[in-house]
Amino acid sequence: MTEPKKKNEFLYFALRNNKLRIGLTVVFFFLVLTFVGPQFTDYTPYAYVNPMGAQPPSSEHWFGTTMFGQDVFTQFVFGLQATFLVGIVGGGLGTLIGVVVGFVAGYRGGIVDEILSTITNIVLVIPTLAILLIIAAYLEVRGVFTESIFIGCTAWPWTARAVRAQTFSLRSREFVDLARLSGMNTWKIIFQEVAPNMMSYLLLVFILQFGGAILNAATLDFIGLGPMEGISLGMMMQYAVLWGALHLGHWWWFVPPGAAIMAIVGALYVTNVGLDEVFNPKLREM
Amino acid sequence: MRKSILFFTSLLVALSLVLAACATPTPQVIERTVEVPVQQTVEVPVEVPVEVPVEVPVEVTAVPAEAPTATYARGETLYVSGAAWGPPSTWNPFVTWAHANTTGIVGNVYETLFTFDPLTGDLTPWLAESGEWSDSTTYDLKLREGIEWSDGTPLTAADVVFTFELGEQYAALWFSPVWNYLDSVTAVGDYDVQFTFTDPLYQEWSNNLYNIAIVPQHLWEGKTEEEITSGANENPVGSGAYLYESHAEDRNVWVRNENWWGTKLLGLTPAPKRIVDIRTASNNIALGMVVKGELDLSNNFLPGIAELSKKGYVDTYFAEAPYMLSANTAVLFLNTTKPPMDDPAFRRALAFAINVDDIVNVAYAGLVRAANPTGLLPSLEKYVDQDVVARLGYSYDPAQAQQILADAGYADVDGDGFVEAPDGSKVELEVTCPFGWTDWMEAINVIASSAQGAGINIKAATPDYGAWNTALTSGTFDMTLNNWAGMSNTPWTLYNLLFRHPIQETMGSGNFGRYDNQEMFDLVDALARVPVDDEAGMKAACADIQELMLTDMPMIPLWYNGLWAQFSNAVWTNWPTEAADTPDTLPATWAGYWQMGGLLTLTTLELAE
Amino acid sequence: MRRYFGRKLFIYALTFFLAATIDWMIPRFMPGDPVQNMLSRAALHAEAAEVMHGYYTRAFGLDVPVWQQYINFWIALFHGDLGTSVYLFPQPVLQIIMRAVPYDIFLLLPAILLSWLAGNKFGAFAARSKWLDNTISPLGYILTATPYMWLGILLAWFFGIVLGIFPIAGAYSFTMRPHLSWAFVGNLLKHWFLPFASLFLVKFGGWAIGMRNMIIYELEADYSHYLEALGAPRKLVRQYAYRNAILPQITGLGLDLGVVVAGALVTEVVFSYPGIGYLILAAIQNQDYFLIQGCFLFIIIGVLLANFIIDIVYVIVDPRTRTGMQGETV
Repeated sequence: MTEPKKKNEFLYFALRNNKLRIGLTVVFFFLVLTFVGPQFTDYTPYAYVNPMGAQPPSSEHWFGTTMFGQDVFTQFVFGLQATFLVGIVGGGLGTLIGVVVGFVAGYRGGIVDEILSTITNIVLVIPTLAILLIIAAYLEVRGVFTESIFIGCTAWPWTARAVRAQTFSLRSREFVDLARLSGMNTWKIIFQEVAPNMMSYLLLVFILQFGGAILNAATLDFIGLGPMEGISLGMMMQYAVLWGALHLGHWWWFVPPGAAIMAIVGALYVTNVGLDEVFNPKLREM
Repeated sequence: MRKSILFFTSLLVALSLVLAACATPTPQVIERTVEVPVQQTVEVPVEVPVEVPVEVPVEVTAVPAEAPTATYARGETLYVSGAAWGPPSTWNPFVTWAHANTTGIVGNVYETLFTFDPLTGDLTPWLAESGEWSDSTTYDLKLREGIEWSDGTPLTAADVVFTFELGEQYAALWFSPVWNYLDSVTAVGDYDVQFTFTDPLYQEWSNNLYNIAIVPQHLWEGKTEEEITSGANENPVGSGAYLYESHAEDRNVWVRNENWWGTKLLGLTPAPKRIVDIRTASNNIALGMVVKGELDLSNNFLPGIAELSKKGYVDTYFAEAPYMLSANTAVLFLNTTKPPMDDPAFRRALAFAINVDDIVNVAYAGLVRAANPTGLLPSLEKYVDQDVVARLGYSYDPAQAQQILADAGYADVDGDGFVEAPDGSKVELEVTCPFGWTDWMEAINVIASSAQGAGINIKAATPDYGAWNTALTSGTFDMTLNNWAGMSNTPWTLYNLLFRHPIQETMGSGNFGRYDNQEMFDLVDALARVPVDDEAGMKAACADIQELMLTDMPMIPLWYNGLWAQFSNAVWTNWPTEAADTPDTLPATWAGYWQMGGLLTLTTLELAE
Repeated sequence: MRRYFGRKLFIYALTFFLAATIDWMIPRFMPGDPVQNMLSRAALHAEAAEVMHGYYTRAFGLDVPVWQQYINFWIALFHGDLGTSVYLFPQPVLQIIMRAVPYDIFLLLPAILLSWLAGNKFGAFAARSKWLDNTISPLGYILTATPYMWLGILLAWFFGIVLGIFPIAGAYSFTMRPHLSWAFVGNLLKHWFLPFASLFLVKFGGWAIGMRNMIIYELEADYSHYLEALGAPRKLVRQYAYRNAILPQITGLGLDLGVVVAGALVTEVVFSYPGIGYLILAAIQNQDYFLIQGCFLFIIIGVLLANFIIDIVYVIVDPRTRTGMQGETV
């Protein structure tokens, strides 16, 4: 068996890969902040805690306070929770649907592939945000979770296409043919032979979906079609702009949320490339 | 190769844009060749889907002889914002709900018979020279002589009769209900009109006098029903101080009518040659423009104005909090069909449980004032019965709220910190406002949390505007905010909103909580029939309404929304403020406010040195 | 090739049909009553509300059965009639959209093309040496991970408010009326620059990263090593790699259009730029059925058209598609 050795080899390259190290560190940092952050604050996101209104960062309020005297740091850490939730649920769902559709299309081929590919191609061309906008406006009550579901439901097509292509190439490999000759059923082949060989690829796909879901959610939240309860980074930016933070110079209100999204998504992308290099030996040289 | 294609494409794109931007309709002086039949009434079968007219018969537009300017001289132009909800789409003075998009069409272009001064409460003759009740069912109106439409035709009694008769003819016009109690309108002479009534509703009539815009018969009699009730009426011909010049998605440009009758007859001349009414997509853009001095008057709700006012960037009506005049009352409507809000004791307890001070000071940062318990605006203060308020008024007092609840049998039976109804059922209510109305969203948070503090379980919720509106008009909400009665010459306007009747399946314009009390309805109807000059009678009628209202507490007036107005003295000065040496008019450009002092404000502006 | 285009056209037609159906369906099942919302704006005197409600419901064709509304929708569509806006009553939807479209073209076309060209150039450049890679790539990652509106907000804040050198709202100054002159064109460009820049920068990052990764794949491909082994100059190898790497980038351009549309939408919101994105949001907020539908249809048509053009370009650039091989793309 070559498995253990292979794993060690991955780990070796993974630890030496700068992109992976930087990317994972940043993501991990924010993830930790999401869980630990609320411990550092005595407030709730919308509580009016500073009677002075908008004040720049201080030792009392690390990220300053909003127009109404709400603590920006508190909003920030609670907003991060929403961001990661959307990433995991939305990105996860997008990956799942994409992978299932792509697998089935690529593996079964023929008429099934034809139908699934047509659907994929159609959904692919339709601008998802426009659809999301309309759906979001249609919902009477919007929450982070429903938002994630809808983002996931519209983000899958490119994944499906990519997975389909991968499956196509794997399907024709010898070990799959062998399995088929030995009389294994389709699902068994998919799960035991094809899927493991695609795991690394799926991880890459999930990371991209994760980042994409976060950006989509930020967009929806910013234009006021985000969750109606709770707080998110996109909503923070929306409120900041609505309440004139740009003109009144309350930069501490709108800089942190955007910077966090940028850092998380950027780190995810870098991680993605780093992983790609680890999995794909040819790329390691650069 | 690729580069040249790219260059060519961008050139094409840029060119198309310039052309598109230039394609905005501009006023043209066109000879009117269309023969207008003397009296043409087109019957439109109602079943057929109505084609909405877009093409409007060409009208003669008086435009200053000089060519339209490309860049407006700063010293001749007034930049205002805060009135437009959306891009200009219609110039029809009868399409009231779109007025917000083209504010000024009534007041600046089309004019009303009277104007109204909310600060003094006086109706002032405008197109009319005088108007009075010669007996209890006859109203005699005398028009000023020498008023001309902007195409040079004189404005006469026939135009007034024509305008009012449009309301009789077309039920879709907003003022058509006036014909429920109006019997006839006759031109007695060229400048005399007589209105005879079957059952005069004096209060409503006085309100109509400064809200119905008079249109020119000679241009409107040829229009079809759709054109009159919903047509866009591009290139409007009015009698007012300003003329339509041009518009784009984000602005409406008006140019001064140099032949306006007001200059000759009243000695009034608006100072700015041009008004550019800007539609800002969000208030923060207006904020930026005010700070830079690019905007002379902003009627947007701007957060942080206290800060900017202190730094000297902008001026407001009052130098200190609340900075703004009060413009309308934010009322918490309670759905009286749902328990426990069908219980007057519960409603009264609620009134004591809401921390209005926090709404005023935190949510609005002091920009608004707490409302009088009767809900009447400060300008109508003389109709407040102080004795009733002293006996039955309310203010934030959680202890008192708890006492009332306890007395009425509400107690926390299950120990969750919130009271249960006397029959033991849980009290779980929701207070709502539309999502995105940020100041109200803050306000309902305060309402919910202070009520919770007093032991009443209320949660804040912000449905979409559409859902909110459906719940409001169909009566499925628990409690919600509404402020649809603005400045008025009569307390009847507010009470007509609060106690609208009869109760119907859909309550589109008032009494959303479906407070069903014939005694109250009779009182409001009695007020409607009191002549406007009978102040004592009005006071008595109001006192009865207030007594019953504060006893039964079917809804809770909370605070006054401001007449948001922040102005810059960089280019134009002499804005109306509380100071004694400034004009006593309203710094307002909202639709409906031009004839309430908005236009007069323009006549007293002065150029800064 | 005929089959290739035939298939494409079929897919596009089907997409259009489905999109239009969804488009018709969604707003119709929105909560709330658009006519009621519209009238409630009147606030002032709503005595006539009942009468007006019935009148406008008929006028908007909302009183017939749903299936008939659907048929009417298609009939009207083929007549180029997208209905009348509720929010901008009584203007026809088509007219409103036609006024917004030039701004979108003006904003999107340069942003898409220039970012694509520049991104490819810089991406290929980055793949050249470790030093360049270490400077361009991180920048690319940061840009492509930046939310459009945040970059927009930052640009607006810094250039518009702190420095005060660019206007941050509208398409041209409030002190001007549209006319053909250098001053006006200059003013248009000044208002256009920041929204363009925020779209361009984010996209630029994405394309640069994409190209860089593609080239590296290609340089590590067997044919590159083979060429190098044959002693071909590095420049030639890179040229081949670039040519091969550009193909997926072209495909990517088509797939990315939906994303750019989304970006343009928020950018227009941040800068109050009067394009379709800005319009569709206003339409949604005002529950304007017809305007929402119209905007969405135009976005679909635009995206489909652009995809079709990209297909044609692809055929020109990639000889394999011409010689009968079926494209793997859409």
